[in-house]
Amino acid sequence: MMRRSKMFCTLHKWKISQALDSGKPISSHVRKHLSKCDSCREYAELCTSLKPKFTQDKQAILQDFDDSLNKRIMASIPDKPEWGAEPGGRIRAKRSVRRPVLIPSLAAALTVLAISISILFIFPRSKKAPSLGQLSILFSAASPEDVLLKVESPLEKEYTELKRAFESTSKYLISSLDFRIGPQAK
Amino acid sequence: MDNTRAVNHISDEELASKVAAGSRSSFEELITRYSSRLYYFLRYRFKTDQDTEDLIQETFLKAFHNIDRFSSEHKFSTWLYTIAIRLTISRFRSEKKRSGPLDPSSSPLDPQDIVIQKQESQNIWQMASKLGKRQYEALWLHYGEDMPIKDMAKILNKKPITVRVLLHRARQNLGKRMDQPLATRKLAGTTSAAHKFSFL
Repeated sequence: MMRRSKMFCTLHKWKISQALDSGKPISSHVRKHLSKCDSCREYAELCTSLKPKFTQDKQAILQDFDDSLNKRIMASIPDKPEWGAEPGGRIRAKRSVRRPVLIPSLAAALTVLAISISILFIFPRSKKAPSLGQLSILFSAASPEDVLLKVESPLEKEYTELKRAFESTSKYLISSLDFRIGPQAK
Repeated sequence: MDNTRAVNHISDEELASKVAAGSRSSFEELITRYSSRLYYFLRYRFKTDQDTEDLIQETFLKAFHNIDRFSSEHKFSTWLYTIAIRLTISRFRSEKKRSGPLDPSSSPLDPQDIVIQKQESQNIWQMASKLGKRQYEALWLHYGEDMPIKDMAKILNKKPITVRVLLHRARQNLGKRMDQPLATRKLAGTTSAAHKFSFL
């Protein structure tokens, strides 16, 4: 019960602070809580007393301030500012705003462009692309069926290689797993 | 004399405009208005008074050179405090130092300083300085400069809600540090007490 009431006090104190900062009146349920809770009432009273106390004490500390610092600062100030406004003259136009975002974007675009160019020109195309010599052999074939066979032959070669790979893989799997079906199986 | 009196009634923003037009005396007036305030705002950030004064000097110099960039639509105090706090941060970054101890009791003090500290112990700002630099600065800007939360957030480079939380914690901690124990205070009556807080 005690913990619950403390939790509510924390919330109510926050509400009091919020009301103080925003200049809005406190809500009715906070007001109702204030009438019952000593701790929150004391907090609200503290909040009201702070402003005049701070203002009064600020005057006290500022009065004691030594103005030798002001003289020192004034001595360091040049006759004219760096941007050089003439007395009574026009103020220079505002400096253009730099946009540092553009620099990395430009760098990224250039990198992408460089990679694209290197892919297109530097790296050679597929070595298996038919050369002029190979094409001449192709066209020197006797009949269209021969041409088709020659054209299809790389595909066939690939098919054979795949078949061979599949067979060797299946053999390897059978030998490694060693499972048998039928009366010989243990 | 009349001239001085006339200058006293001019707002900070008007003075800044005059400085931009070349009036050095207007800048002198701004220095008079703000040097002490900046000093008490920054004093717990630095180990020595000399460091604080150097930073204030640097702040005014920067403000003078950049006065053409100040827009009179904004408050001069917010602009100046922002310069000061940014210079402070950049100084600590460049020197790679940690800020000085906030609690004066934790640093070695001369006997003379101890006497001064005892004399000042009744001052609420002295008490506030022991809360931590963030809470102290929030209190200074809010109560000392009467700044709205929005401007404070800009200066302290924080979100408005963070500034509200800072202020709330500062008030609570200050209440705990008050010499007069609040818990022992009795109010006359609950109804009248509720009326007391009608400002809220």
